[in-house]
Amino acid sequence: MEKILNQEKLREWVDMLDDCEVYAPAFADSVWNYARIEAGTDIDLSHTNTIGSVKEFVFPQREVFFRFEKKDGVPVLTSTLPDPKPTVVFGVRPCDGRGMPRNDTVFNKEFEDPYYWARRNKLTLVGLACNQPHSPNCFCQSVGGSPHSEDGLDILMTDLGDRFHVKGITVKGVEAMERGRDAFDAVRDGDQTEVEKVHDTSRSFPQRPLDNLDAIPKAIRESFDSPLWADMAQHCIGCGICTFLCPTCHCFDINDEVISPTTGEGERVRTWDNCQFPDFTMHTSGHNPRADLGSRLRQRVSHKFLYFVENHNTQQCTGCGRCITECPVGIDIVAVLERVSQ
Amino acid sequence: MSDNLYLPKIGRIVGINEETQGARAIKTFKVEFPNDDGFEHDCGQCAMLSMFGKGESMISIASSPLVKEYKQFSIMKMGRVTSAFHAAKIGDFIGIRGPYGNQFPLHDWKGRDLVFIGGGVGLAPIWPVIQTAIARREDFGKITVFYGARTSNDIMYEDDFEKLKASAEVQLSVDAPEEGWPGYTGFVPANLMDKAPSPDNAIAITCGPPIMIKFVIQNLQALGFADEQIYTTIENKMKCGVGKCGRCNVGKDYVCVKGPVYSWAELKSLPQEY
Repeated sequence: MEKILNQEKLREWVDMLDDCEVYAPAFADSVWNYARIEAGTDIDLSHTNTIGSVKEFVFPQREVFFRFEKKDGVPVLTSTLPDPKPTVVFGVRPCDGRGMPRNDTVFNKEFEDPYYWARRNKLTLVGLACNQPHSPNCFCQSVGGSPHSEDGLDILMTDLGDRFHVKGITVKGVEAMERGRDAFDAVRDGDQTEVEKVHDTSRSFPQRPLDNLDAIPKAIRESFDSPLWADMAQHCIGCGICTFLCPTCHCFDINDEVISPTTGEGERVRTWDNCQFPDFTMHTSGHNPRADLGSRLRQRVSHKFLYFVENHNTQQCTGCGRCITECPVGIDIVAVLERVSQ
Repeated sequence: MSDNLYLPKIGRIVGINEETQGARAIKTFKVEFPNDDGFEHDCGQCAMLSMFGKGESMISIASSPLVKEYKQFSIMKMGRVTSAFHAAKIGDFIGIRGPYGNQFPLHDWKGRDLVFIGGGVGLAPIWPVIQTAIARREDFGKITVFYGARTSNDIMYEDDFEKLKASAEVQLSVDAPEEGWPGYTGFVPANLMDKAPSPDNAIAITCGPPIMIKFVIQNLQALGFADEQIYTTIENKMKCGVGKCGRCNVGKDYVCVKGPVYSWAELKSLPQEY
């Protein structure tokens, strides 16, 4: 389904999604991030990219798996599987959209993660094509994506100045558009040509290049024992922001949080974790397979550009550039890959 | 409830055997499923055990799959969860989910000699293989079990070893000299070289501390064992058990799913990151 939506009708469409939770980028504290849109509030799609990625809608920073307590000395577990309202997220950049099928693979592979899918099945992603790169660190095209990729999105919107071209990609996406009814206009002669022109132009901007993407796995494999990793990780402070903001990083920890030591009541909680932390892999004995910064940088890069390729035939990186932009000490995954490939 | 892979089943401790004492004490726990929702497992698989309020730990299932009434776990006192196990009493409840991981391909080893080489608590993961092989004794050739501990007080499954001698050759060792010790004195890899089992039509299965495994494999190779004849089981820190939490990988493999059992032929192609 393809439609035209005048800029001033966007509000109207959003209001018709009144039985859904609607999120869109909002500018606050000097960054864009997703915020809940209440009925009647304005929606602003002039954002660059959000600081957090859409993975947070399916894989929150902290979630309770179940509560435990003791009744007559016997543990009683109460599952806290979420049952969310249908959720529609506007303004999703195509790099984040492409992250979602990768996350689906991880959380579905062999063992289906019920917490992820409870949210995922209720989520509709409304993408917004990038008419121009919003950061000098964008490299979506270098990892097989594009500024108007539909991969992982339910709807793709393209900004044509006074109006949006809106394309329903999935059944969920078409349903969300049908809810907007009269807000939409039919596509007219010339609209399609204009969309193509905008998309063509969007691809013509220079991006961070990755020469010979297909040769990268071999280059990484052959450099496993290279001193390059330690060298490139020397200034890493192990803060982990690269993985927390990444649209495809999915590592997590599971811990018990005790509410009452007397009754034994508590919660088992999943929280984001991070391959850049030393205790991520440290055995109880103190033995650590990835004991130094170099091996941990190697793991992050190898996971995205070697192991995921070996297991799933695609990179676990969509070129959003957040890990480069937000790294406090300037570690740059594109530069790392360049050096490893040399 | 059964669809939620993170929700453990309830287990009850019905037996505790103190294997060894001291700072790195080992206890063996027999666990039943009071709600009758137990699961079958294969040799080499693990289960994620919970002490509610403390957390979870991945532990090898040390009983044979042929034993249906209970599952057995030998746990060394090391951290928060394992210390809670060591403080537990018969009748206490635990959480248990699994089984996780692959298995020793015992069915492929019919007619072959089996050489087991264990060290310390590393005997536990290969114990179900030993027990299953003994239960199907006629399926296999000569069975030899090497096992070493720091001192004679650190030998686990001591009573079982006595029974084992009826159907297998048992070669015990302690690391340092002890008065009256009838077995070998020295490290496990040295005892292996001393007895020099034949690689002809044999499979070697080893588990123990990483340093022991390393030298055992070197010595097996020196004895003429091919990479395909050597099996080991590796461990890494695990949280989910289902290949998602991201920490137990060795190269492209999540050990919790693709492992823990590897032939040396498979393992040597992976990065040395365990």
